Amino acid sequence: MNKIDPWDSPNANDRQLSVDEAKILDQLGLTGDSRRKFLSRVSAASLSVLASPFFTAEVFGKAISNNPAASPEELLNVILVDLRVNDTVKPLQLDSRMTLLDALRERLQLTGTKKGCDHGQCGACTVMIDGKRKLSCLTLAATCKGKEITTIEGLAGEDDLHPMQAAFLKHDGFQCGYCTPGQICSAVALLDEAKEGEASYVTEAVGEIKEDIQLSEEEIRERMSGNICRCGAYNNIVQAIMEVQSGEETPARWEFASAEQMKKAKSS
Amino acid sequence: MKNTTPSGTGNPIDRVEGHLKVRGMAKYASEFPVSGKVYAQAINSTIAKGEITAIDTSEAEKQEGVIEIITYKNAEKLKRYDEELPSLLPDVIQPVLQSPKVHYYGEYVGLVVAETFEQAQYAARLVRFEYRTEEPRIHLDRQRSDAYKPEESSDYSRGDVAAGMAEADEKVEVTYHTPIEHHHPMELHAIIASWENGEVKAYASQQMIDNAAITIANTFQIPKEKVRVIAPYVGGGFGSKLHAKQHVILAIMAARKIGRPVQLTVTRQQMFTNTNFRQQNEQKMQLGAKKDGTLTALVHETLSHTSTYEEYQESCGTVSKMLYKVPNNKVSHRLVPLNLQTPFAMRAPGEATGSFALESAIDELAWKLKMDPIEFRIKNDTQTDPSNNKPFSSRLLTECLRIGADKFGWERRKMKPGAQQEGNWLIGYGVSGASRAAPYRETSSKVKLELKGGKVYATIQMDATDIGTGSYTIITQTASEYLDIPVDQVSVELGDSLFPVTPGSGGSWGAASYANGARVACMNAIRELNQKLNTDEDLSIQALLEKNELSSYETTGTAKPSEAFKKHSVYSFGANFAEVWVDKDTGMYRIKRMVNVGACGKILNPKTAFGQIIGGLTMGAGMVIAEQSRIEPKYGNFITRSFADYHVPVNLDLANIDVVFLPEEDKIANEMGVKGIGELGITSVAASIANAIFNATGKRMRDLPITPEKLIMAEPEPDAI
Repeated sequence: MNKIDPWDSPNANDRQLSVDEAKILDQLGLTGDSRRKFLSRVSAASLSVLASPFFTAEVFGKAISNNPAASPEELLNVILVDLRVNDTVKPLQLDSRMTLLDALRERLQLTGTKKGCDHGQCGACTVMIDGKRKLSCLTLAATCKGKEITTIEGLAGEDDLHPMQAAFLKHDGFQCGYCTPGQICSAVALLDEAKEGEASYVTEAVGEIKEDIQLSEEEIRERMSGNICRCGAYNNIVQAIMEVQSGEETPARWEFASAEQMKKAKSS
Repeated sequence: MKNTTPSGTGNPIDRVEGHLKVRGMAKYASEFPVSGKVYAQAINSTIAKGEITAIDTSEAEKQEGVIEIITYKNAEKLKRYDEELPSLLPDVIQPVLQSPKVHYYGEYVGLVVAETFEQAQYAARLVRFEYRTEEPRIHLDRQRSDAYKPEESSDYSRGDVAAGMAEADEKVEVTYHTPIEHHHPMELHAIIASWENGEVKAYASQQMIDNAAITIANTFQIPKEKVRVIAPYVGGGFGSKLHAKQHVILAIMAARKIGRPVQLTVTRQQMFTNTNFRQQNEQKMQLGAKKDGTLTALVHETLSHTSTYEEYQESCGTVSKMLYKVPNNKVSHRLVPLNLQTPFAMRAPGEATGSFALESAIDELAWKLKMDPIEFRIKNDTQTDPSNNKPFSSRLLTECLRIGADKFGWERRKMKPGAQQEGNWLIGYGVSGASRAAPYRETSSKVKLELKGGKVYATIQMDATDIGTGSYTIITQTASEYLDIPVDQVSVELGDSLFPVTPGSGGSWGAASYANGARVACMNAIRELNQKLNTDEDLSIQALLEKNELSSYETTGTAKPSEAFKKHSVYSFGANFAEVWVDKDTGMYRIKRMVNVGACGKILNPKTAFGQIIGGLTMGAGMVIAEQSRIEPKYGNFITRSFADYHVPVNLDLANIDVVFLPEEDKIANEMGVKGIGELGITSVAASIANAIFNATGKRMRDLPITPEKLIMAEPEPDAI
């Protein structure tokens, strides 16, 4: 993935623009001469750092809203990280102790990623880092330089749902909704793991594992067991994932007793 | 009244707020963008009983970003309890940091406020406390001689239990144990508190908005009107968010002191010590029956504990008073004050634990009588509540058991334990009956109508909450039905103390109360618009607005329990079936499948109702397979302090669940015929699994959770194998 790295390249004018830099400038409507003029004014540091105050709102728009909490004046061990989240890059000054989870929630207002235990035990904070599911509460934000982070907000376009989101909605794979973003990120990454032929604890005959495995219900349950749902929507979550995997409808597991059943039960 | 629209009640529509939840856009308490907010971290005591003798904040104060450190020495003076051991009700005051005394391990003793979460968390670790320590009282068993009779749950008896036991042909006299369990909703308890012009604004994770506002107002001794509580989304509660707890008071106190909004999140570790739990119970059961299966006596005695500063009793015996027709019955509750935090309602308080004891004991007695446990229950079914002689508004327990038996394939069950095997697995089937009160409380709501582009749009407002229960959806469906407009023209706004008052979410009254509250507001709007026209024509809501030449209209409505409700015993009923496979060498077992049948009034939305039931079954399964909070025997702290030690069910623990709803509309319960479902699902699940384990192994497991080592070490019942 292309990335903006202000620290390696102090003068944005001196080098080729990355794809993302070009994209940002395009979005700003800066092309040709105006782009060159703009770049000449931001020679002191990278485009992303200097330009961010001017166009954060537009570029990060709906996905990353303005951070209402002012940056604290004094941070311990300040570090600067370009956090690339959902295809947008945000340069941040961070306390070195800050987790990716807190950076997303408290600095970027991406509160879709949830804090459920802060100890890597519940899965509510699951995001995808370079396509793999990771616990953002066990990931220091400082370690995410150059990595591609996908959160629940970035799974689909603003008005669209990712097929997994749609399946969770259809199968009621949640109740309170708090573990849901983590469950969905986990489920999306899980199907990719199956495509890549990764084994799990319950995989039988690990030696014979191939790519594009169709996961059994037990496999899905095992592979989703790192995401706790205290409301107990597990069965609906499994149904949603199975439907996305197979493309076939999974029927609901509730029914109403018929008048005949009622009559029989009363009389017998 | 117009008939049900396709989108009205009874239809399995997707959750109306679901698209926000699956996109991570629903805002929970700590997620509101409050400008200028700072972060707080609470500090817990490291002794279970004694007094703080010295506090050193100097190191913490030196840290970058630290704004304020609050301890009992500089805390705002709050309202104190007027009595000793006040009952912990949902609107009780919650004083905090008012004295150097420590009542339990983990009690809040301080709060650090800093610019960032990291700074607050680090500085909190640097505040030093010295204590004078006393020997804590933390053993229910050792302190049993201190047991007293609580005010709240008085003793009950009818008939003569000694005589009833004497005339019994078969008897069961056994004791069941259930451990401390924790609620652990996935959303950590949290608040963002601010003060403006003497008024409190709190984004707080609370199940009951009005009660939270009362607690805050009374604790700070300000009028309730000056408190605004906001909770549009609550990430689960299960009883732990029923009342505003001390962290709510701490954050509000800090916000006033520093003049800035304060965000305080209770950590998962603190959710073991500061957000209540379900208490440990010892339940002594005595049951007697004649050869033909007629129950002659039932005694249910519960020993439990409360804190040393508040009283709470989980009434385990409630279910034993009313579930079966038995002439001689005695129920009692005793409490021992211990140096632990006050226990409080956890999903189906009383029923979840009480039904484990009752429905296990019923199974034990059926085995002794050589009767099928379903037939034994049906034999003692009744349409009159034996505890008060009131008729049940509706009671379909027999139907639940029979229909469930068919669905489950009960006829394949062998009476003799261990008779079904497959390889190393012993296969057992278990059943249990369930009941849970279906209360209904006064509920108000506001309806706002707007005529736009030839369509009527309705907004319903009430201070109700949706803690995952489906409130948004069922209220939307109710308004859609009574206004006869599609659901996508209805929006529902909840969780704000500015809205009309409801009882909040708890006690299984939510669905019935909220739906009826919305119904009355909608019907009032139609009636009032008709009155203005002086007509009783059956006009659509659109025609009513148009003929009145109104582009908008708003009104309120309040629903209340009827006289008929008060003259009846109103309960939901159910039956649980479980198939369990036990490995005969290791004691490891798997719940293979479960069937639940519920007779719980009109089902407003089968999709969300199914969610409530499987959620209850999952937590009920948790009670059996793993959940227990253990206390260090000398120091009184929890040694199970994270999800690594306190195991809640995960996806692989669960199996297939089928749910059957019985068609009923209980119009005595309320006008819409709706009864509670949120707590019925957990009731007696533990017993159905334990009974299945008996059917598989011949072992009676009376001590939850049933871990493999307990199961492998247990001896089978004489004559069972």
